[in-house]
Parts: sequence; C-alpha cells; structure tokens
Amino acid sequence: MSLKKFSELFLDLDSSNSTNNKIEILKRYFLSNEPIDNSWAIYLLTGKNNKRFVNGRYLRSLFSQIYGYPQWLIDQCYLKVGDSAELITLLLKNINTSKNKKISNINLDEILSKIVPELSELNEYEKNLEIKRIWETLPEDNHLIFNKILTGTFRVGVSIGLITKSIAQLINIDEEIISHRLMGNFEPSIDSYTFLINKNINLEELNSKPFPFLLANSFEDKIFKHPINDFQFEWKYDGIRIQLIKRSGNISLWTRGQELVNETYPELVEKMSCIKDDFVLDGELLVWNYKQQIPFDFSFLQKRINRKSPTRSIQIKYPIIFIVYDLLEINGKDIREIKLENRRIELEKYFSKWQNKSEHNSFDIFKICDLIYPKDWSEALTYKEKSRENNTEGLIIKNKKSQYTSGRKKGIWWKYKVDPMQLDAVLIYAKGGSGRRAGLYTDYSFALWKDQELVKFASAYSGLTNIEIKELDKWIRKNTIQKFGPVRSLKPEMVFEISFEKIQISKRHKSGIAVRFPRITKWRKDKKIKDADTIENAYEMMQKIS
Amino acid sequence: METKEEDLIRYRDGSLYCELADIWIDPSKPVKRALITHAHFDHFTFGCEEYISTNETAILLKKRVGEDINIKSFDYGKEFKINGINISFHPSGHILGSSQIKFIFAEEKWLISGDFKLQRDETCKQYEIVKTDYLISECTFGLPIFKWDQTNKIANDITKWITNSPEKTSLLFCYSLGKAQRLLNELSQTNFKGNIYSHGSIYKMNNCYKELGIDIRDTIELENKKEIDVLKGNLILLPPSLSKGYYLKNFKNIQTAFASGWMSIRALRKRSGYDKGFAISDHADWDGILEIVKKSEAKNVFFHHGDSEALSKYLSEKEIINVLSFGEKI
Repeated sequence: MSLKKFSELFLDLDSSNSTNNKIEILKRYFLSNEPIDNSWAIYLLTGKNNKRFVNGRYLRSLFSQIYGYPQWLIDQCYLKVGDSAELITLLLKNINTSKNKKISNINLDEILSKIVPELSELNEYEKNLEIKRIWETLPEDNHLIFNKILTGTFRVGVSIGLITKSIAQLINIDEEIISHRLMGNFEPSIDSYTFLINKNINLEELNSKPFPFLLANSFEDKIFKHPINDFQFEWKYDGIRIQLIKRSGNISLWTRGQELVNETYPELVEKMSCIKDDFVLDGELLVWNYKQQIPFDFSFLQKRINRKSPTRSIQIKYPIIFIVYDLLEINGKDIREIKLENRRIELEKYFSKWQNKSEHNSFDIFKICDLIYPKDWSEALTYKEKSRENNTEGLIIKNKKSQYTSGRKKGIWWKYKVDPMQLDAVLIYAKGGSGRRAGLYTDYSFALWKDQELVKFASAYSGLTNIEIKELDKWIRKNTIQKFGPVRSLKPEMVFEISFEKIQISKRHKSGIAVRFPRITKWRKDKKIKDADTIENAYEMMQKIS
Repeated sequence: METKEEDLIRYRDGSLYCELADIWIDPSKPVKRALITHAHFDHFTFGCEEYISTNETAILLKKRVGEDINIKSFDYGKEFKINGINISFHPSGHILGSSQIKFIFAEEKWLISGDFKLQRDETCKQYEIVKTDYLISECTFGLPIFKWDQTNKIANDITKWITNSPEKTSLLFCYSLGKAQRLLNELSQTNFKGNIYSHGSIYKMNNCYKELGIDIRDTIELENKKEIDVLKGNLILLPPSLSKGYYLKNFKNIQTAFASGWMSIRALRKRSGYDKGFAISDHADWDGILEIVKKSEAKNVFFHHGDSEALSKYLSEKEIINVLSFGEKI
C-alpha cells in the first residue's frame, strides 16, 4: 500500500471525534483497499508490535544539527506541539527540498519491513544521513507517518476495540469472534486479513464466546429498608474483571472490554487446564500479597496489564490471583438463571472438588471469594469503613435471589465504595503538559502547612474540566514567581481539594507523607490559603485508618 | 533593551501612542484621535472623537461603529501631516483595507506593521515592503512550527471535507470579516458545486466586499438555524462565537471545522472541540515575519501581539538585529 493512502486514512481518523464516524471511516477504507493494505493498516493502528526505532529527543536534536536551528528554539516549539514526530513534520515544511527527486509512491511494506529496520543496523553517522535522505525525498504529506513509525507513536484514538467493531460490522458477525481472531500477534499479511474477515465461524471460535457481564450499580439508601439476610456481601476488589471460560478443554480469559488476555496471564491458563470440568467463571484478577492474603495496590497490577508473555521473573515478582465470585456455566450447562445463592452452592461444591484433586498447594492462583456476614446494616457499614485495611475499595452487595442477567440492571448488584480521603491543599508549582495538553500548564504540585511553611505533599494533573484548566493556565501565567525550565513556582493563592486512596509515611518526601492516586476533586475558590490543611491533619488521618 | 521616553512611538495604557501627534493607534479605549489599521473588533473601539484610516477600512468601520462617526480616510501611499509628522498608510495584506502605518519625523522613519500576511489573498491588496528605521511588528505566529500551506491546497481540502460527507451539513467557523470572504474567494476557484450559506454577521460583510468590487462566491443568508439540519452536503459559514454554548445543541448530522492558523497544531485542534481544523491564517508565519524584518531594513525592531521571546532571541543571535522591548508591559 502506498504510504500516501495510509496517511490519508490516518488524517481522516484523526479529524473525527466520534466513535461511530471512526468506524465508518475504517469500514470504508477496508472496503476500498486490498487485503494486504488493510492488514498493514490494522497492524499499525492497533500498535500491537510497533517498535520505537529512535526516541523523540534524538529526532529533535538531529533536526537541529542538520538544519542549523538552535536547540533551544526546537525545545520551545516542542512545548507548544507536545509530540516530536509532529513537531519535526511541522518544522520540515521550512526546509526547501524542491531540488530533490521525490519518491512518488513509496510502499508501506518497504518502509516497515526494510528501510526502517535497516536503520537500526547502521552506525549513528550513517543512520542520521539516511533519515535526512528520507525526509528530503519523501513527499511532504508522508512525513508525519514516517516520523510516527520512527518514534512508534500511533495514537489516533483507534483502539483494537474500534478495529474489532468495524470488522464485525463489515462482515456482520459478533465482535467476540473478531476479538478472538485478533488475539496474539497480528502479522501483516494477506492470509491474516482473509482469516479475519472469514464469515464462517468455526466451533473453537464459538466455544470461546463470553457471556455479557453483569455490572453493579452505585449503592442506594433505600436498600437499608430490606432485611440484611436478603443479600450476599463481598469485598470490592480493585482489579480486572475477568470471565474465565473453559470449554472442550480450551481456555479463554476475557476482560470486560472484550479483550482476550490469555497471553498476559499464562500461569493462570496453565493452572486452569489441569481441571477436568468445563466451566465459565466470573471473577477478579489481582496481584496478590500471598503472605498477608490481601491484594497489592493497583500499581502492581499495572505492571502486568498490557505485558504479553511475561517472563518467569515478572510472574514471581507480581504474582496474580483469580478470585472467583460466580459460576455461570458448568460442563456445558448454562446456569445463569439459577438464583445467586444456589449458584454459590454449586461454585463451592465444584471448587472443593477441584482443590482436592490438585496436587500440592500450587492451586493458590485461583481462589473463591470470601463472603462477609454482617449482622445488621450498621455492621455492614463498619465493614465498609474497614475495607481499606485489606486494600479493597468497599463492599459489593448482591441480591441472593438474583439471576445473572446482562448489563447494569437495577436491583441486583450494588457497589458500596468507601469515601476517598481528602485534604485541602495550596497550588505551588505548575508544569507544562504534553500531547493533547501541550502548551497549557496542566501538571500541578500542591502543598500543606507545616508550621508557617507550605510543604509540597502531592502532584496531580487530573480532575479539572477543560474550562477550568484554561482558566487556571491564565492565572498561572500571571502569577508566576519564578521559572525553572518548564516548571513555574507560583504565588500561593489557590486552594484545591485533593482526593486520594491511601496515605502513608515516606522518608523520600519532604513532607514525610506519600499519597496514592492523588487527584483534584474541587477548586476551592471559597477558601483562602490559611484555610488549607496542615501536615498534622494528614498524620491524624493516617492514625485513624491504621 | 527597552524603549526610551523620547521615542516617537511608545506603549501607553495597553496601546501604541505617538505623543508628538497626540495620536493613538488601534486604541482599546475611547480617545481624541485614533489611527485604525483595520476593522477587526480588537483593533478599534467605540466612542473616539476622530478616526483616521484607509478608504476601505472607513467603509467597514462605519458599518461596525455607525454611519455618523467622524472619520477621515486616505488612499494607500498618500502622505498627510499631523503636528509636523508625515503619516501614510500602506497595504498589509491582512484583510480588505488593512494597513501598515508609516511615520516620518525629523528624517527618522517608524513603521507599524499592523496585522499582516504575505500570502496570496485576492480579497485585499498585497503586502507592500516599506523601508524603515524602526519597525513595530506583530508576531502572532512567531515560531518555526508555523509555516502555511498554499491557500488553494487548503481550499481543496475544505471541498474534499464537504463532499466526503454528503449526508452531513458542514459547518465551517471563521472570522466574519476577512477570513470568511477570503475563503469564499478561494472556494469559487475549486470545483465545489454545493450551496454556501452564511450567518447574518458574515452575510453583511460579504455584501460590503461585493460593493467594493471584490470577487467572492455568492452565498445564501442563513435565516433560521433550524435549516442547518436540512442542508446536507452544503457548507455553512458561521462566526466562531457560535461554536460554544447552545447554538449547536440538538444538531446530529453536522460536522464542524475551524479555519485558523492555530489549527496546524494537533493538540490545539483536539482541544478546540471542532471535528477538523484548517490551518489558514491572515497573519504571517515565522518565515513571513523574518522576511519583512529583513526587507524593511529596520535596525531596531519591537514585537507585540504574540509571544515574542523566541523570535527576539533568534533575531538577536542570528541576524544581529536590535530587538527592543516596550518600556511598558503589554
């Protein structure tokens, strides 16, 4: 496929904010191009195996060296643009290359399988010369794609989900089937595309299909009116919701986002294949602290997400667990219409059978969720408050008589989350954002009072609306005390409510405390800086929970 | 280096001011005597005792401020005297009637560039190179990431954008004076066959341009916004102020775009909330600014309207031009 056609597709996708539009654009593209073209497009857009050949900083300094623009000027431009590939593309417009003969119709295949990989085999001098040669011989509208391939950054809001949806609509079969077909390494070839759009579904594919997930609603006070015994109580874990399917011996792990993640958690797949029965289980995947029998923070789990075929050492460093809370199908029989309390009995029965059959304790990786039995609602509230101690987010409350339906139906499951911890803090530093937030001050640092001094205690960049960001950006520019590179120190004047999930003592921080997942929840324009919280307030908070 | 008390033109109360002639240039508050470079709203104010501008700007100003204002107007290049200072207007290529203003006093030449561009634009006079000792230039787009594409390429892109979505009404947001008419002139040279509608504020300006003999494509006035839904496959020009708020609520089959130089940067494009951006500007790009600084042969340059930090540093390092800053904060 010519680079030009793909450039056009890229720009079309980028100039649409609607998911449906993007799907339409993709469908149109798939219909009007050859299988090999389509397969390349899928390969690049899903970013599955996109490699970074050079980093952005390298490209920027190379441009400066070749064309004699001072490095400080390029850096200043970068602050505005926020993406090196795009920055170089814009700057290249200033370079007159009309003397050079242009490659009129370069092939994407050639770029990806030959030109770019060969770059990494050259020494630095040759590599720089080669990049310069390509810049000067490629037609201008291909520069962006070439630079993006070099830096491995194809972010246009096209997820694997969008590709899945477009293909599914195109050939009119279920998305789950396409998801399954897109699993693993997608090799750009005619064969792989032909397989993807095959209208005939084979048995194995059918067998891997998950059930629609049942989702929990937010807690409503009216539930208090019901007797406590109508409900089943579980801890609310902050992990990845997974449906684990084993049919005819084949295992599929599905996330709620319809992603097949077998390759991310191979140790779980391996263990499950030891079981003889077929089943569909609903549960939560976590990185587990086996000593204390509680989950590690979500940040540990993040080390496993998006990492295919993890090495043995990663598996040991971040040990996973699958906590099962429901049984939906057993040996080919769909039991979703059975009441929850009876499904639970079945689950416990089968679980003890599987556990007895397994040799040694290697069966740990798979655990049935503990139930909590509060005597009354006030005890239920106490459990909820205690949920931080075992690193959970609160409670899940389930109607014992409920069937497993799909979606967020009312009156079946509720999540009852513990309130986040909050402190009011003063904005003291701001730093420029990148990507979509380039050119705006969007990374903020906040301070608490310690005696008469403001001491930094957290950085946050999420939580404000776009309008607030713009307003604050204006204020920041007017109230800068000093600039240190991209960071500005600010007049202490603005107070924000900062929410976070966890607070602990930290020797690394000047304030002596560290918080997890800090985010801005309110711009407290009503508060003066003297009303902000103190470090002592933070310590009290810590004592209360431990 | 900062400007000195005795400089002919200085910054005062946020506008350029020539004390010797007691004359303000594009003042933001009502004053006795105002020189107006062009008729964009951020370059004039209501309530001045006397306005002075080019003939075309005078006509546009009367439409915007009122027919009864006290305004003197001059041809481009025609010198006139105020308190012994020779003053003249020269084309700046920004919009119809836009001008640079030259001051000569005691053999010292000062030039205020006004808003300007060098790119082709058939709806106004081409920028004229004027030699000067002191140059006060705008620098809205003073970074090398700004390099404009040929205007006809943008016009073709717009046409393609409309025709690729025949099931949608295409809404293109643009400034009602200057940009809209430039786009209409460019679109008349493409193969776009659909109808073009203009919002009232743009329609009024279109008529002004036509009366002054400028060749632009005919448009139909958009009388009721409910029509937007049924104008599939056609183009509607709207002022940017309508893109925010409730005006466009409840319209489903539309696509929106903004025509502005800022749209060349993806982050700004995405943040703007429009589906698409067309990077077409009535201001000079980086090269354009460098070119007029050089060709004006000015030894001393001031910048305003924009972030001049990079441009100033670059010129001082590379071109050995004396870049001064205004004594008063802008």
